[in-house]
Amino acid sequence: MGSDFLSRLISKPSSGPTDAGRLRHAQETLDSWSSLMAAAQDGHGGAYRRLLGEVSEWLTRYFQRRLPSGQVDDAIQETLLAIHRRRHTYDPRYPFGPWLAAIAKNKWVDQLRKLSRRPLVELSDEIPVEDHETAIVSRSVLTGLLEQLRPAQAQSILLVRVQGYSVEDASRQTGLSPSAVKMNIHRGIARLAAIIEKTPDVE
Amino acid sequence: MSNESLIIDLSANLTQVQRRNMLREAGLVLGIGALELALFLALGLMRHDMHHIPDSPFLMWRVASLGLLAVVACTCAIRSFSPTARPARGVIMAAAVGAAAIFASLFVAPEGVAERTLLERTAPASGVLCAASIFVLSLPVVTVLGALMRRAAPTQPKLSALASGIAAGACGAFVFAFCCPFNDPLYVVVWYSVGCAAVTAAARWRLPRRFSL
Repeated sequence: MGSDFLSRLISKPSSGPTDAGRLRHAQETLDSWSSLMAAAQDGHGGAYRRLLGEVSEWLTRYFQRRLPSGQVDDAIQETLLAIHRRRHTYDPRYPFGPWLAAIAKNKWVDQLRKLSRRPLVELSDEIPVEDHETAIVSRSVLTGLLEQLRPAQAQSILLVRVQGYSVEDASRQTGLSPSAVKMNIHRGIARLAAIIEKTPDVE
Repeated sequence: MSNESLIIDLSANLTQVQRRNMLREAGLVLGIGALELALFLALGLMRHDMHHIPDSPFLMWRVASLGLLAVVACTCAIRSFSPTARPARGVIMAAAVGAAAIFASLFVAPEGVAERTLLERTAPASGVLCAASIFVLSLPVVTVLGALMRRAAPTQPKLSALASGIAAGACGAFVFAFCCPFNDPLYVVVWYSVGCAAVTAAARWRLPRRFSL
């Protein structure tokens, strides 16, 4: 499981020697996180602070690809709190990466559930957009996930949740009733959460 | 609060923690089960013919299959409390053990049992009491597993709760098997399954409710 995690961690395509160097660097990082966490379990605050600092950078990259920018900080802080509350469950004999990835994925699913419960707010045409790169990466991840839903569910989520149309507008575009659009969104997001829960840990 | 200040707060208040140990947790569950069985037997509730287990395929089947189910389900439940665990396989394995035990019941019926009517064989009035007894006997184990689950970090709490329910139900049924006077595999399959299912449903409903990672 550790090597699987590691191979995903450095999944960008590159040539041979760079791959080996990156692999070695990632392995060193994970080994150092395992040692830091073991020290933190023994009560070393300095090691813990360094670990959480490095982990929060990793979490920032992790959640920026998967969540709207407004939810990224919430997700990071909830994950850090979960790591703190459950730090006794980490076994230093095993790699730290899968343990961290499992908790981060759980918090990602929690945030998706919160997203599905949030009331619908229509977007104004004049909202400024700052960071296109994050949005593009998030969109590519989202597109991959939406392909696993029924077309009507994917279209309803895309129109209302991603593109910001009102339910009524989406209803007119899809030819479905407003309640059917809402139902498709609700069931689609629940299905997305289930799909994410079933997929192996990523990054 | 910024991420940086949260990190400073968390590391400033850091205390040493006792690492989770699955063997210790398994020992705790085993101890609770053994204590319950010892108390149960100390009350003089054991069947008088239990020492004939090796000579009776039916008694052997009943005790062995429930014991095996309890071990498999407890192992699955305790392992599932780790964030990296995937409890689905363990739950399927426990279900397979249960199905195999039901299948094996076809070959262990004592003589003369098959000639009785279905109502006589299932004895609903006694069966309901049996199921209720199994439910009550499973409470200590399900309470311990619930406490262990809350202290640990399962990332699939619903499946962990399901595994805990199966484990507790199997433990309760195992203890009850030492006093149950009925010698009919159909009775055991029906009413023990009802008792285990009730515990499993209660655990699945109750344990994840106040759990948060």
